[in-house]
Parts: sequence; structure tokens; C-alpha cells
Amino acid sequence: MTIHLTDTGDNAALKACTHEYQVSCGNCRLNSICLPLALESDDIQQLDDIIQRSKPLQKSQHLYREGDDFQSVYAVRSGTLKAYKTTDDGREQVTGFYFPGEILGMDGISNNSHASSAKALETVAVCEIPFTSLEKLSTLMPNLQRHFFQLMSREITEDQQLITLLSKNSADERVASLMLSISTRNARRKLSSTQFRLPMSRVDIGNYLGLTVETVSRVFSRMQKMDILLVDNKEIEILDVDSLRRMANLSA
Amino acid sequence: MDQYLNWQSHDGDHKRAPLSLYLHLPFCHDICYYCGCNKIVTREKGVTREYLQHLEREISLQSQIVGSRRPITQMHWGGGTPTYLDTAEITELMHMLASHFRLLDKGYREYSIEIDPRTVDTSTIALLKGVGFNRISLGIQDFDPLVQKSVNRIQPYNEVAPLVDCIRAHGFRSLSFDLIYGLPHQDRFTMDETLRKVISLRPDRIACYNYAHLPERFSSQRAIDRLTLPEPEEKLLLQQIISHTLQDAGYLHIGMDHYVLPDDELALAQNEGRLQRNFQGYSLHMADDLLGLGVSSISQIGDYYLQNERNLQDYYRIIDSGGNPTNRGCKVTREDKLRRHVIMTLISELKLDLAECSYQFGIDCKHHFQAEFEQLRPMIDDRLLELSDKEIRITERGRPFLRNICMPFDAYLGAHQGDQPAPRFSATL
Repeated sequence: MTIHLTDTGDNAALKACTHEYQVSCGNCRLNSICLPLALESDDIQQLDDIIQRSKPLQKSQHLYREGDDFQSVYAVRSGTLKAYKTTDDGREQVTGFYFPGEILGMDGISNNSHASSAKALETVAVCEIPFTSLEKLSTLMPNLQRHFFQLMSREITEDQQLITLLSKNSADERVASLMLSISTRNARRKLSSTQFRLPMSRVDIGNYLGLTVETVSRVFSRMQKMDILLVDNKEIEILDVDSLRRMANLSA
Repeated sequence: MDQYLNWQSHDGDHKRAPLSLYLHLPFCHDICYYCGCNKIVTREKGVTREYLQHLEREISLQSQIVGSRRPITQMHWGGGTPTYLDTAEITELMHMLASHFRLLDKGYREYSIEIDPRTVDTSTIALLKGVGFNRISLGIQDFDPLVQKSVNRIQPYNEVAPLVDCIRAHGFRSLSFDLIYGLPHQDRFTMDETLRKVISLRPDRIACYNYAHLPERFSSQRAIDRLTLPEPEEKLLLQQIISHTLQDAGYLHIGMDHYVLPDDELALAQNEGRLQRNFQGYSLHMADDLLGLGVSSISQIGDYYLQNERNLQDYYRIIDSGGNPTNRGCKVTREDKLRRHVIMTLISELKLDLAECSYQFGIDCKHHFQAEFEQLRPMIDDRLLELSDKEIRITERGRPFLRNICMPFDAYLGAHQGDQPAPRFSATL
């Protein structure tokens, strides 16, 4: 089932409980990641005015689907989403995971419709930023425009790195790269970079890295045996970050 | 200019044909002493923002003039240092171009960018691939530490090699190296070592440039001590070492100090007569028109050669006042076209079919170029080229002297007309 945050039918329900989700950009603890801008408080207020906050998505609900009209970009406030495309032969290719403070939906900018679907992996809260309002605001706030190009370039870079990862690297390198990426992103949110819970399943990891579930599990076991990781179902502890880095062969 | 704009204001095939774009990004962090390009060395914050704002207005203006629906089959970003722009600005500029021109994301296209290895890391390479570039040219110049120091461009081999690996890993269609011979402290030994390193990295294309020491013309060259430059005989030797070493390593010499691997498209194109040479070097002939964007850039559109204002502040001023920064131009005459055809064919295909040329331009080449052929006589005696009733053919021996062989056909060389830097360079070997 698709939940469109802009669905007019939901509006009454949204209004009724907005106070629960009402965090303003000014006091959001993620604003240093989501909007690391030197914005004046007036500017923050203007940005805040265009942002729509709505009720959380439950696990497995869609934020948008491939082919939907592109209207907004979304900032994750809590929880994790995955973006995926369905290949011609019906397989699911996961194209990205989005953690709190990260922005998704920009794949729609180039041709005005979303190029992938986004689905909640757990309970998720997002801030919706309507793109037309954002564009208008950007002309008044060049910093904001610049920030969005920064985000877009990071998206493009990570996409490309994934394509390269999938085309060249071994299973070990792929899994190690993902663990390092999650670790770095946790650190960005001032969370532990060595101990975390994976929000996604082994199947999702496999569909992201182009590996079978069995291979993903085998790599985890191998890393555990080598004392690089401690794996307890979804709980991960990185024991030896240098070896993990070497395994990821970061020069590539 | 009015004549040009008038021609462009009428619809026709020229408003639909494929187009090649050149973007000039003039800023550099540091000065390389040998450089003779139009550039601005600065570390001042905000210079790129100001430039992009003006460039956007120029892009919008020129796309209206030349036609915004023409397929962009070729694009090149040069400088200066295009990677002076950070990743967000690169994305922004590509976004600007895509909003005003029809960029292609499938099928055959050549989108290339010049990279200063000192300004990028592996994530920049991923971004460049992601925004649509499929070719990279790296400014290597020379790998010798002393040579690098003396030209103020220090980029050790062990920093360049991982970058090359990364470019390969991202599947760029082709990688090209620029080398320069005639730099201070270069000799046969340093050149051997540089070439050994170059060959180990196996770029698809290698373009060698002859350093011309003209300190009275290019002020940055005044930092180079004349006494450290290789003597003319040594320089000739360097050129020969490059030629032999690269050809022994399997590269083909396509002309004018440009070498390519045998499976490179340029090698195939040369056999099929689809090779062209323009301001950016050799490339496949895919579009007749080249539109230059940015300060000082040159366009070649239809029968016109055009150049943008060369001074950055004046370029800004013209755009701020709503004007067109293209303020120099000339229309080529029939004679110009003939001579351009002769020179371009010789340097791309290393031969010229005289009958075909006569037919195409409605002249008798033998009669028309009587004086020029006479000037070629000494070079024919030296077996640098062969001249028959049917064709001019450059010999293997003559390839290093392509510029000299073409000089008699350059109508402007003797006359000192216009602003043509090329002849000054040609004369130096």
C-alpha cells in the first residue's frame, strides 16, 4: 500500500496529530547533517514553513513508488528506508539505504518522476520538502541551493561507487564496504561507529550488493572467524576497523 | 557579429545538426610556470560562484542563438583547471547545461574533462562518471621530481597511479595523458624514466606538447631559468625518444605528437577518414559546429570563427549589461576553407587527395598551390613527404614535421594577420 504524504484524504488525520511530529528545523538534533548551513534564523524559519511533517510510515509502507510524479524530496527524521528498482526480469535491485539526516527522492529531479521506489524498513518519520517551494526558496537563499547540489553530488557519487563496487569487487569487498559506510554514517549522527544494529535484512543486503543471501551470511561468518566483526543476528560490532578497511580495498 | 546573428535567426538544418560544446573554466589554485593558457590563479573564495552565475546567463543566451534541441555529441571541459570547481559546482554546471542543451545519455557521445591530478580524489572520479563524462585527460607533463619542481607542478607518480586505477575501475571509455617536452631539467634520462612510468599506466591516448619558451608573451614563464632548458638538439632528441619509445610500446603515431593504442577509436577513425583536429586536439568528427562557452572561449560555427571576451571582468560586465560576450569574429572565405581543408586533412589523415580537393573546391590544386608546392620542394628532397599528380602523402619520416609541412598552406603565417598564436609555436622546433 502506498502512503502519499500529500494525499489530500489524509489531511484531516495529519492535522489532528501534527503536534506529535512537530520538530522545527531550528531545534532538530539532525539539522547539522541534514542542513549544515550557515542559515540565519529568519532563513531557517522560511525553510521550516515549507516543510511538511506527517505521521510516521510503518514498516514495509512505501514513501513513493517508481514512476510516481516527482513532487518532493524527503529528509529522514527517524528510522531507515531502502530505495529499490525492479529489474526487467522481476528482481529487486536495492539502490540505497537512507538513515536519519539523509535526503532521498532526488532521483526524480531529472525527469520529473521517481526512478525508484522507497520503502520503510522499520517505523520511519520523514520531513517532506516540496520541490517547487524549495526551488523558489533557493533563489532567495543561494546557500540552500548550493547545499542541494552538494547532496545531489553525494547521491551521484555514491550511486556510481555502488555500480563500480558491483561490477568489480569481490563479495568480501562489497560487504566490508557496506559495513564501513554504515559505520561512517552512524558517526556522522554522533552514534557509535563500532556498534550498531542493522536495520535491513540479509536479503536486502544481498539485493543491494548483488550477492545471494547465502553469500552474505558466509561473508559475515568469515569476518567473524577472522575477528574483524562480531555478528549476532542484526547486531554488529566492528572489532578491527583497519582489517575491515583493508578488506574493503578502499583505494578502488 | 550581426551577420552571424542574422544567419542564426533563420531556421534551417544548421539549427538541428549535432553540436560540440567547449566549456572554459579559467581558475587555477597554483601557477604552472610553463602555461600559456588563458587562466586566473587564485584561491579567493567565491570566484567560482560569480563565474557560474555569469556562465549560466551565457549558456542560456547561446543556446537560444545556436538552437537548444541539437544533440550534443561532444563536450569538453577545459581550463584553467575544470576540477577547480568542487563536486557540488560540477553537478550544478552539468545541471545548467542539461537544462539548456540536449545532452545525450545513451548512444555514442564523447564527454571529456581535463583533470589536474592534484585537485581530485577517487570520489570526484565517481562523480564525474555519474554526471556523464566518459573520457578523462590527465595533465601529467613529466614524472621527474626535479622537472616537476622547476615548473611548480608537483604530482608524484605514486599519487597519480591510484587515480588511474580508479578511472579504470569506473569504466571510463578512454584515458588520455598530456606530456610536455622541452621543460627545464629534462634530458634523455629523465624522459626515459617518465615514459617508462607512462607506459606502465597504459593510457589510451598520449598527447605530447612542445614547450615554447616565450617569457615576453607569457609572464609566468619568466620564472623558468632559460639556462635549465634543454638545448634545441637535445629537445629534438627528446621528441625522437618519445616517438620511438611509445611506438616500441605499441602506440600508433597519428600525427602532431599524438599517440594512441591501436584499438583506440582515433586509430580506427584515421583509417576511415573520420578524424578531425580542432582547438582541443584530435577527436572523431561527429559535429561540424563547436560552441565555446565561458571567458575567452572560441567557437567555430558554420562559416564563422568567434571568440568570447578574453578579460574576465569585461566578460562579466558584458553579461551583466545583458550583452553577448562573443565580441570577436570573422567569416571564413572560400580560400580560407580550402586552406583549412588542406591543413586539416594533412594533419588528420597524413595525406591529401588532390583530385578530390580540386573537385570539391572547383579549382586546379596543382595550379592554385604552385607557389606552395615549390616551397615544399626541399622537404620533398628530404623525403618528409611525397608529391605526385594524385596526392600529397606524409612519409613516416615526415610525421614529426607536420607543422612545418603545413606552414606553406597557412595564408596568415607570412602576413601576421589576426591573432594566431599557433604559428609562433610552430616555428620553435
